[in-house]
Amino acid sequence: MTVEIEFDSSWQEGLVEKITNDGPWGNFELYKLAVEVEKHTVIDNFEGLQAPKHLPNLTPLPHQLEVAKQVVESMNGKAILADEVGLGKTIEAGLILKEYMIRGLVKKVLILVPASLVTQWSYELTSKFYIPAVAQRKSYVWEQCDVVVSSIDTAKRAPHREIILSQDYDLIIIDEAHKLKNNKTKNYEFVQSLKKKFCLLLTATPIQNRVGEIFNLVSLLKPGHLGNESVFNEKYKKDSRDINDNEHLKELVNKVMIRNRRADTGIEWTKRQVETIPIELTKEEQDLYDSVTELRSEGDWTTTSAFSVMTLQREACSSREAVFFTLKNMLEKKENPSKEYQDQITYLIEKVNAVHTNSKAVKALELIQQVNDKVIIFTEYRATQLYLQWYLKQNGISSVPFRGGFKRGKKDWMRQLFENNVQVLIATEAGGEGINLQFCNHIINFDLPWNPMRLEQRIGRIHRLGQEKDVMIYNFATKGTVEEHVLKLLHEKINLFEKVIGDLDDILTRLEFGSFEDHLSDIFGNSTSEGEMRIKMDNLASMIQFAEEVKDGDYRAATGNS
Amino acid sequence: MVIIVQQQEIHNFLVKYFTANQCEILVNTGSYITVQLTVELDKELMNRPFYWHYLEKTGGVPNPMKLTLITDQKKAPEDIKGEVIHFGSPRLHQIFHSTKNLAGYIRLYEDHQATMGQQVPLRPWLGMNVKISYQCDRKRDVFRSIGLQLINGQLIENFHDELLKLQLARKIPDYSFTLSPLIMPNSGVTRIQNMIRSNILEEDHSWANDARERWSKDMKLLEHFYEEAEEKGESYENEKRALQEQYEPKVQISIINGGIFYLSEKAI
Repeated sequence: MTVEIEFDSSWQEGLVEKITNDGPWGNFELYKLAVEVEKHTVIDNFEGLQAPKHLPNLTPLPHQLEVAKQVVESMNGKAILADEVGLGKTIEAGLILKEYMIRGLVKKVLILVPASLVTQWSYELTSKFYIPAVAQRKSYVWEQCDVVVSSIDTAKRAPHREIILSQDYDLIIIDEAHKLKNNKTKNYEFVQSLKKKFCLLLTATPIQNRVGEIFNLVSLLKPGHLGNESVFNEKYKKDSRDINDNEHLKELVNKVMIRNRRADTGIEWTKRQVETIPIELTKEEQDLYDSVTELRSEGDWTTTSAFSVMTLQREACSSREAVFFTLKNMLEKKENPSKEYQDQITYLIEKVNAVHTNSKAVKALELIQQVNDKVIIFTEYRATQLYLQWYLKQNGISSVPFRGGFKRGKKDWMRQLFENNVQVLIATEAGGEGINLQFCNHIINFDLPWNPMRLEQRIGRIHRLGQEKDVMIYNFATKGTVEEHVLKLLHEKINLFEKVIGDLDDILTRLEFGSFEDHLSDIFGNSTSEGEMRIKMDNLASMIQFAEEVKDGDYRAATGNS
Repeated sequence: MVIIVQQQEIHNFLVKYFTANQCEILVNTGSYITVQLTVELDKELMNRPFYWHYLEKTGGVPNPMKLTLITDQKKAPEDIKGEVIHFGSPRLHQIFHSTKNLAGYIRLYEDHQATMGQQVPLRPWLGMNVKISYQCDRKRDVFRSIGLQLINGQLIENFHDELLKLQLARKIPDYSFTLSPLIMPNSGVTRIQNMIRSNILEEDHSWANDARERWSKDMKLLEHFYEEAEEKGESYENEKRALQEQYEPKVQISIINGGIFYLSEKAI
């Protein structure tokens, strides 16, 4: 079979010109140097990694080098990098990018990451990999710079969108790619229409609960690898518990996905020490919680606002400010509220006003003083975040807030302040993703998210490579509330905190389990008695335990990347 | 250990590069160098076209920059300000590139030690240093240096190594005369190209077949994915083209440098 051979003809033309004009001719010393350089930089083998030689200040870990090699040599440069949080997916992506650039296979690169990570990515690529990655701030950057880092939200909007779609990219890297699990979204459609030769999708949570989501992710990377949509649905969704079919699916997925677990890396990880801190509510706080809970038994609230009731319950476990904020919203957003509705809200607001201490905040303060080191407090609610910042300040402790909505610059600034100047960082959920805070080893879960993966994301901010101390996790649980039940389930029944991330994820996926959060909502929302609730929680726990046992058997072989 | 040797090599390379470009080396400690750039090299390396444009318009006195390059960070004094150079640094690759750029074509004469009074004929050779890249979704390169005698058409490999054994000069030495080529340099280049081409065609191309196999596999998947779609649409076309770019095996030949060399009969 013949191969296309391309000759660079410009040199020939140049030579004729030099001869005609009798020069100017080059200098022999430089001429010899040029040959030396070329002999040095020629890469005479398809296999092997060149990148490490070019990175004297970076010592990649063995599993990171292995990933880079595997992607280039056996996955043809298209892969989902799905290591557990904190194993250095950015380093892996950087190595692969560098390798392709050195070999001259990649020049034009687009890197799409959450807005909060744009600066960090361009900084890391520039400083660790000597790749001039430009954070997109002006629209001319798309065309003028070879390696551009941007958020999807910016990239998909005019005028950027049109410019980007008109270009051919050699490599596209997408961080937090699990956000592209739904193929009906604008983001998905945008990424699908990008022109790309090689592609890396980075995610710590590749399969969140539904097999269909992995189909969408893989189809972005390699359309057809899992068949087309109708075939896929028929094969895997209808009878998703057929082990043979799932084995086959796992095998296929593993051809395009690499997933390292902490345990596989051979790195000695620092320990996680988990402490449950029971919180005794004050009389007024308990009263507020009970009043919110009682709403459930009152007819029209259950049918129309089961979700609100549960939200209010959870908020009552966090702060009165959080409850108040929601109540205010409920009143303002309701069209033509009935008299009863208004009265009910007013009644609850009175209960809010009656609360004067926040028992959790008191405990948090005590703990922070006792720890006498940097501490991150996670809360689900912005109102709680604001309150805590104020409360700590009153007690002589300065803190910085952190939210997903902050602009890049502000996030970087907050992180820096936390590292250098203040003792406490208070983050809401959205801010939990995408910052690395391994210089801190204490986390307070002021309240709990009901999605276990989000909880793992929180811990992953500090329990990652570079963490030198044991990680201390303090879980606050208000006695006699939904929170206590949830914590018990997560901590005692399924050992979530000691477990490595991904395990639970695999289990949930395997069961076609649906969202964890939905299960909890169902249990708390529809149980008519305390007893029923307890039984349902136990059932949930045993289901997970059961799936785990099955998994430990024949299942592991298919998911591991041995 | 490898890195240390490499850094030393890089250091020597930089000294050679700047010396060959007539730059004065102000400091050379073995761990760093400070160089006074010439106007030409400032334009080549420092990327400040506006300054030079301004200067030419106003007729000011040119003030080319000094450049400090650190090759051994551990041994260099701490207070020294400069760019740290290593094998992956953009500055080094810029200089690599510039080296090729500045010495793409050359013409040299063998400075033979001939006996007085005896006229020595010098035969014209065309020398070309080339890089052959075998590319699909992966890549490997081969360096070749080929010489073609422009009178009898003799072809030799490792021509550059042969040149390194000779004394060469920019001007024709005394008691020498050059023979005119029978093969014009332009068609000489074509001859060398043809030789390389036929060599390549004789090689084992299992790498290319493997790449085509990977390509057709992915292509089948893609067809399957869009099987049921009535309109395959733009994304199908995009993917199809991307697969071609990713896998299509090809051999690219680029010329690093080369030129005309007048050599005595016994030189090669």
